[in-house]
Amino acid sequence: MNIVVLVKQVPDSGAERELRSDDQTIDRSSANNVLNEMDEYAVEEALKLQEALGGEVTVLTMGPEQAGEAIRKALQMGPDKAVHVLDGALHGSCAVATSKVLAAALRTLNPDLVLAGAESTDGRVQVMPHMIAERLGIAALTGARKLTVDGGTLTVERQTEEGYEVVTAATPAIVSVWDTINEPRYPSLKGIMAAKKKPVQTLSLADLGISPDEVGFAGSTSTVVESTKRPPRQAGTKVTDSGDGGVQLVEFLATERFV
Amino acid sequence: MDFDDTPEQKALREAVAALGRRYGHEYFVAKAKSGGHQTELWAEAGKLGYLGANLPAEYGGAGGGITELAIVAEELAAAGCPLLLIVVSPAIAGTVIARHGTEQQRRHVLPGIADGSTKVAFAITEPEAGSNFHRLGTVARRDGDDWLLRGSKAFISGIDECDLVLVVARTEDAATGKLKPALFLVPTDAPGLSRTPLEMEVVAPEKQWLLYLDDVRVPATALVGGSTDAGLPALFAGLNPERITIAASAVGTGRYALERAAGYAKARAVWGRPIGTHQGVAHPLAHAQIQVELARLMVAKAAARYDAGRDLDAGTAANMAKYAAAEASALAVDTAIQAMGGNGMATEYGVATLLGVTRVTRIAPVSREMILNFVAQHVLGQDRSY
Ligand SMILES: Cc1cc2nc3c(=O)[nH]c(=O)nc-3n(C[C@H](O)[C@H](O)[C@H](O)COP(=O)(O)OP(=O)(O)OC[C@H]3O[C@@H](n4cnc5c(N)ncnc54)[C@H](O)[C@@H]3O)c2cc1C
Repeated sequence: MNIVVLVKQVPDSGAERELRSDDQTIDRSSANNVLNEMDEYAVEEALKLQEALGGEVTVLTMGPEQAGEAIRKALQMGPDKAVHVLDGALHGSCAVATSKVLAAALRTLNPDLVLAGAESTDGRVQVMPHMIAERLGIAALTGARKLTVDGGTLTVERQTEEGYEVVTAATPAIVSVWDTINEPRYPSLKGIMAAKKKPVQTLSLADLGISPDEVGFAGSTSTVVESTKRPPRQAGTKVTDSGDGGVQLVEFLATERFV
Repeated sequence: MDFDDTPEQKALREAVAALGRRYGHEYFVAKAKSGGHQTELWAEAGKLGYLGANLPAEYGGAGGGITELAIVAEELAAAGCPLLLIVVSPAIAGTVIARHGTEQQRRHVLPGIADGSTKVAFAITEPEAGSNFHRLGTVARRDGDDWLLRGSKAFISGIDECDLVLVVARTEDAATGKLKPALFLVPTDAPGLSRTPLEMEVVAPEKQWLLYLDDVRVPATALVGGSTDAGLPALFAGLNPERITIAASAVGTGRYALERAAGYAKARAVWGRPIGTHQGVAHPLAHAQIQVELARLMVAKAAARYDAGRDLDAGTAANMAKYAAAEASALAVDTAIQAMGGNGMATEYGVATLLGVTRVTRIAPVSREMILNFVAQHVLGQDRSY
């Protein structure tokens, strides 16, 4: 089974993140950029399937030069190779434009299964798998907490707020995963050393037959016009216990509708 | 001169740190106090190839250098769960066998050391011979094709969790009649080899043992390098890796203690504002931080020289790194405790638990005085007094 895992470099969600003042895109220069956390689970799932079923695991990203770091990070876990869609004209692409590019890249790879994280910690739109599925005419099984493969049939436990749904589809398909699906491995030292030598193919828009005006700011369906910083956190409520602390705590929880 | 990790070293550092954090200091203390060992952490680090970082790829290692193994030792210690046997098994025994073992010995032990499934202890110290190894009294005698080892060893760490022990003994030189060192790989369950635990005031999962070798019979293939001439160079080969990895581990422990104390000083308010705003608290922490960082730099320098094949240059740097790291980590733990007040001594806060471990680093594997002797003699050109 040939698997492609979509990965993305994002600014560390543990630190303060900012938008650039000139074009309202994410400021990557000041941020500590990391591999999107949920993507590690997708890579892990791909590697587990490869161990069981054989085949090849390819990592695919679209992003600027430095997104190569996220590719390396993913390759250190064990995938065989990577494809990096890199083109200056991509800057500012919205989700719809991005899905066009990723779908075009996936067509060149022709995988049986595409795996992705259920969301990225920067955009958090959660729609990429659906849009890609639509463009490729394949099924999208999203938000998986469990995935099983039986021949050409995929079965997914789809995590919902109330519980889970069991959905199936035939390959080829795209599956997005939550962090409940597995426990990603730490890269082994051999994996770290080997990643340096693994092939990373760079594709431009021209290679994919996409014209620059279909992507970037020009080709995007949405534009961020303006942004405002989150207001600073308000000081919390302090409960001083003078015998009625317990009552006060419960009252606080009740007024905030926590209980 | 490059002061940064390579991308691969950075990735290794992050991965080991993440693994260490999953176990953490509570795991370390729980194992130490229950008489257990960090078996799960060791196994996982071995499986991920971290323990074999420095060992040749053709024998199952990762083919890196002592720089990589030092990163592993440092980051686990910085997570609060140092593995003392890194210093002994892959650093000392692994290096000695890789560089001076016979082909058969390399094939036999290195893959296991590299993946952690084989642990090798190191036994040089004797009740009557610590700093002065010229006085070793453990003797190896020929008996047919075999060797018979007789003597006793003291303070041998972790022998109860090891499969083999690398024993430093002495043999009689046929020509001169003089005794010279010879190293033997001895199974820890060999008949005639017995041990008793030494009660120590150190909170650590690795215990120290007295060993008795009562005519322990080993085959000729147990003699490291297959010749008694291999003994001295083999013994020296282990020294730099030993010093560099123990120093790296000490630096990690120093980082751990200061991180704990810094977090505490920022949160703890005694006079209405965090105690870290008092320079009487913050400056000692800052001072200790500088000492730890300086020691860390020396560890990196020693490791870089060693990995560049410059054993002699590495020796001076490794000794200095060991000295500086031991002093810095002991200072860091002591300073951290002071900053944390009574909680500094509470088990729950996980700092005073490291008093023993950091104090020991000033004595073992080589004492601060012996390093000062080395520097006085070899760097400052003074005559030796002993
Ligand atoms: C926790 C722990 C773990 C250990 N693990 C191991 C192990 O796994 N394997 C192993 O073989 N050994 C091990 N050791 C032993 C350790 O290497 C020795 O304790 C160390 O080398 C010092 O030797 P000694 O204890 O005999 O001290 P001594 O040699 O008796 O020295 C006593 C004191 O005198 C000082 N001194 C000695 N000579 C001089 C001199 N010429 N000039 C100035 N000062 C001098 C020393 O610095 C020291 O302060 C361990 C020790 C400890 C405490």
